[in-house]
Amino acid sequence: MNGYFDFHRAYSIARKEVMHIWRDPFTLALALGLPVMLVTFFGYAIDYEVKDIRLAVSDRDKGPAARRFREIFSASGYFQPVETGPAGPVAMLDSGRASAALFIEPDFSKKIKGGGRVTAQFVLDGSDNSKAAAVMGYLPGIQRAALARLAGAAPREPVSFETRFLYNPELNSRWFTVPGLAAIIIGLLAILLTAMTVAREWENGSMELLLSTPVRPLEIMFGKLAPYGALVLAGVFFVYLVSRLVFGVPFAGSHLLYLAACLLFVTAALSQGLLISVITRQQQIAMQLGMITGLLPSMLLSGFIFPVESMPVFFRYFTMLLPPRWFMAAARGIILKGADLGELAVPFLALAILSAGMLALALKKFKTDLEP
Amino acid sequence: MNLTLKAFVKKELTQALRDVRMRALMFGAPIIQLTIFGLALSTEIKNIKLAVFSGPGDAMFGRVADGFYSSGWFLRAGHAPGEDPYELIASGRADAALIAPAAGLARSAERGGGRMQLLVDATNATKARAVEAYARNIIAAQAAREYGARDDAALKFDVRVLYNPAMESSMFLVPGVMGMLVCLITIILTAMSLTREKEMGTFETIVSAPLSNAEVLLGKTVPYILLGLADAALVVAAGYLIFGVPVRGPLWQLGLAALALVVTTVSIGTFISTVARNQQQAMLGGFMFLFPAILMSGIMYPVENMPRAVIAAAYLDPLMYFVRLIRNIMLKGGDVHVLWANLGALGLMALLAAGLAYKRFRQTLN
Repeated sequence: MNGYFDFHRAYSIARKEVMHIWRDPFTLALALGLPVMLVTFFGYAIDYEVKDIRLAVSDRDKGPAARRFREIFSASGYFQPVETGPAGPVAMLDSGRASAALFIEPDFSKKIKGGGRVTAQFVLDGSDNSKAAAVMGYLPGIQRAALARLAGAAPREPVSFETRFLYNPELNSRWFTVPGLAAIIIGLLAILLTAMTVAREWENGSMELLLSTPVRPLEIMFGKLAPYGALVLAGVFFVYLVSRLVFGVPFAGSHLLYLAACLLFVTAALSQGLLISVITRQQQIAMQLGMITGLLPSMLLSGFIFPVESMPVFFRYFTMLLPPRWFMAAARGIILKGADLGELAVPFLALAILSAGMLALALKKFKTDLEP
Repeated sequence: MNLTLKAFVKKELTQALRDVRMRALMFGAPIIQLTIFGLALSTEIKNIKLAVFSGPGDAMFGRVADGFYSSGWFLRAGHAPGEDPYELIASGRADAALIAPAAGLARSAERGGGRMQLLVDATNATKARAVEAYARNIIAAQAAREYGARDDAALKFDVRVLYNPAMESSMFLVPGVMGMLVCLITIILTAMSLTREKEMGTFETIVSAPLSNAEVLLGKTVPYILLGLADAALVVAAGYLIFGVPVRGPLWQLGLAALALVVTTVSIGTFISTVARNQQQAMLGGFMFLFPAILMSGIMYPVENMPRAVIAAAYLDPLMYFVRLIRNIMLKGGDVHVLWANLGALGLMALLAAGLAYKRFRQTLN
């Protein structure tokens, strides 16, 4: 046995693994198909600006002002007034045929005309928070429009403000979700695929066979993981292409820096997958553990959709142990803000430490498991 | 139930739960995920780092800024004098910056139009939108205070939120997450364990045993239906006990909905196992179904807000019917029309999926 790490031996293992992946085109198609699907969904289907909210209107006034009031709702583009059934608007909310209800009092038009004050009751379906919160946000705008058009004069606003949204001026949902998808794809493919492939070798007993050959553990590890690293990076590259070419997401920062962040995170994820496979040695359990410790944190605790800063104190600190949180910060910083290494020192340092930690842990566990 | 089948199901259940780690994952994982959803994730945006920029002695602007900080949504982001607000946001030390008009807020307001500027980091679009909405309310309230209580707008809204008046995220997420978890566990586990048998060759042994096709299929799938139902019950109980998510409708409706979903998902899992050649393929195939199913279900994103083609596809998503059902039953107390329409659709899907799975299964057996 010469040396601790022989590149040629690692290369042979890697080549065998590549052939293995290649021979199974179905897995390859699925592994590359998942990123495509995720990008399509987050790019096309999901828009955080809630529109066309079905509004049940109970108009007991039927006067001209009430009609105009209703028009203001539909003209905003956010609401779609629907006919109220005989059972009344609340029944419409109960059955989900409307998401909000507006009650107009019998003397609405008279009061408006006489310059009096009116209160319109607005009832929301709170069983879907994402919708209810958005609707609440639209009401002040509707109120201003109604005041201007119905009560004649727009309220004097002595103090006002003008908002400038930096990095994503049109608040495009795609610009927000698509750059974060790389984290999900790495979290899904790198962790789950490696955890399962290596667990399979243990399950079949072929790992023992491999270990009895002159190939060193480090070489086996490298050879097994490198092809999956490449596969995952191919997925990330694909997401990059689609986000740039199809969705027009800008790339403000340095590509090299982004690649470095990806490589660091991939290292952490592959090491985590390896660690899981060594601990579980069974594909089903490896998959479950991979999902809980890999996919779930990437999707939920990384700030992909739910901002980390809004979480309770415990989780704000706990997420510091999760590589996806740091990768998400680095990826969004580089892609949207054009941040440089100086500004991203904390995420990069954290990613480097966590990657090194995971790798060391995986190596150690792998080695101790070899002792007879 | 005949005796052979009973023994078969019992053996499969024992096998699935024999491993301590498997037991821990089957029943521990849903609780962990539920806790994350219930505790960590909130649709409410908080702890926004706000930096304020004003000239010296702008008392009125100071009061506006205090209004932001005392609202509970904003945190103070310090900065050195003369620092560029854009720079501050670029470096991530602030999420937003409020800039006073050059002449001072009070004076420019007298001249008509005290216009402040709010810079918001919009890398997170939802967060940015929330920051603007908060700012609008806070500034309006502060203006009312400065110029006497001018709470005399000619038209006001009296807003009431039904079913979840405090707009707690857990109420909204827990019922949806329950559907998601049951789906995940049943589809992927069923697909993987059946594929595993194929991979290891133990399937041939079962086939050569004196059992009918239907018995083999039922023996292999009923345990997962039972496990899925157990997980559903566990999640509802945990949601009720830990997060106080109400169960306003009758339990039998909940049970029926869960049964219809689990039969559908286990059938889909079985179907995937007949296509997949190894466990990796089974897992990936499961995700290929699960990701769109979860995204189109309305658990996190309202379905109505999606493009028409996606809405049309969502009608093929069993999870969508289940999420509608479960939210209606748990939070609204169950509406007859919603119940039967969605349960009917889900039941139909269960039958179709089971039939299809049986057909494919028989083909692979013979």
